[in-house]
Amino acid sequence: MSASPLISLRGIAKRFGAHQALHGIDLDVEAGSVVVLIGPSGSGKSTLIRCINGLVRPDEGTLHIAGSPVDIHHERAWQQMRTEVGMVFQDYALFPHLTVLRNMTITPERRRGVPRAKAEEEARALLTRVGLAHKAQDYPSALSGGQQQRVAIVRALAMRPKAILFDEPTSALDPETIGSVLDVMKDLAREGTTMVVVTHEMGFAREVADRVVFMAEGRIVEEAPPGAFFDAPRHERTRAFLSSIRSFGEAAHA
Amino acid sequence: MEFDVAYLNAQWPALMRGLWLTVQVSALSIVLSILVGVLGAAARVLQVPVLGKLVVGYVEFIRNTPLLAQLFFIFYGLPGLGLRLSLFWSGVLCLTVWAGAYQIENVRGGLETVGKGLREAAFSLGLSPWRFFRLVAAPMAIRVGLPSMLNTSISLLKNSSYLQAIGLAELTYVAIDRISMDFRTIEMFAAICVIYLLLVLTLSFFASRLEYRLNAPFRL
Repeated sequence: MSASPLISLRGIAKRFGAHQALHGIDLDVEAGSVVVLIGPSGSGKSTLIRCINGLVRPDEGTLHIAGSPVDIHHERAWQQMRTEVGMVFQDYALFPHLTVLRNMTITPERRRGVPRAKAEEEARALLTRVGLAHKAQDYPSALSGGQQQRVAIVRALAMRPKAILFDEPTSALDPETIGSVLDVMKDLAREGTTMVVVTHEMGFAREVADRVVFMAEGRIVEEAPPGAFFDAPRHERTRAFLSSIRSFGEAAHA
Repeated sequence: MEFDVAYLNAQWPALMRGLWLTVQVSALSIVLSILVGVLGAAARVLQVPVLGKLVVGYVEFIRNTPLLAQLFFIFYGLPGLGLRLSLFWSGVLCLTVWAGAYQIENVRGGLETVGKGLREAAFSLGLSPWRFFRLVAAPMAIRVGLPSMLNTSISLLKNSSYLQAIGLAELTYVAIDRISMDFRTIEMFAAICVIYLLLVLTLSFFASRLEYRLNAPFRL
């Protein structure tokens, strides 16, 4: 393990009007590790993950990426750091008027100054990895949800980020295509990609996470390795949450 | 008095000269007004300080005052303020300023359909707000706003006939000029109405071709 974590949050707070969404969150993500954020809806996990790349600007706190501080009050600083931290969204958010290939090459070209031919070569290699090389010239509307999400993942990878944030990447997908997206994410984890994942996929959390972080009411309640977290949760609030999703899972399978 | 086709034949070269001027002044104004529309809408939705507010005022002013008054202000008023433009450029300026206000609203309407998700995606890839606007939001908004942008462009084309009031020798000016000499009212107005109709149909044809091309990504 390196000396300083790749992503380090200290005292991150965010208020929306009268609602305090986050209460002074501390979180460290080591390089090469996978941190899974879980919690009931409204617990602040999506807000927290957006605070990591400034889509939601924290009111207070400090953020370090690879040891260097990000000036959280300046948009320019966020724009710079966002090229180093990718993000994948629930609704894929591919640019619908651009082909799959162009979706992937436009930011490396404009933001990293990669020549068009090289950007396309890299994009095709990434598409091949997720089994979508044949879709390069298609528009997003011609792809299934699972295929679009895989493109969204490699679009983020094309920027060669130090870490990738996933905000409920499988929540909008059909059950039968969830697997294809989770497989890609597991591959990334195996290769040592640093990932922060908000998800309801407990199987994924148990199998892939190095650390599970449980949030409720804008606070981190408990964090632990997945084995300890799922089998021996320490806090009452965690136990209640886990039993509620388990009984839901059993009802779904009954 | 009967409809005199031979008379129209004799006037054809003059009408064609007027038509050519109408086409030039309108085409230039359509292009410029769309540019005004895109930039004005950008200033509003990106909330550019000062400029965004000025755009709101500009749109309200233009939409709520008569075109003829705007034309006279530009042609007779601006020289008094030290800006002397030729007939042609007075016409282009007037039509551009008038249609630009509507195009801003047309583009803005299209921008409403570009969701927050795409903005977050673009930002998360490191694009600046302006690059997001240029590469993602504007192309999508123009596709959606195209039908209303065509409407405004058609109005612009027809409103170019107002420019006869300042003496620009476009199509309507030629017709009125000839009528005052020859009193062939029916022939002349029938002729220019048909010509305007053909012009608008041509414009609509090219707009529908463009719409078809811009919609390619959304057809399965």
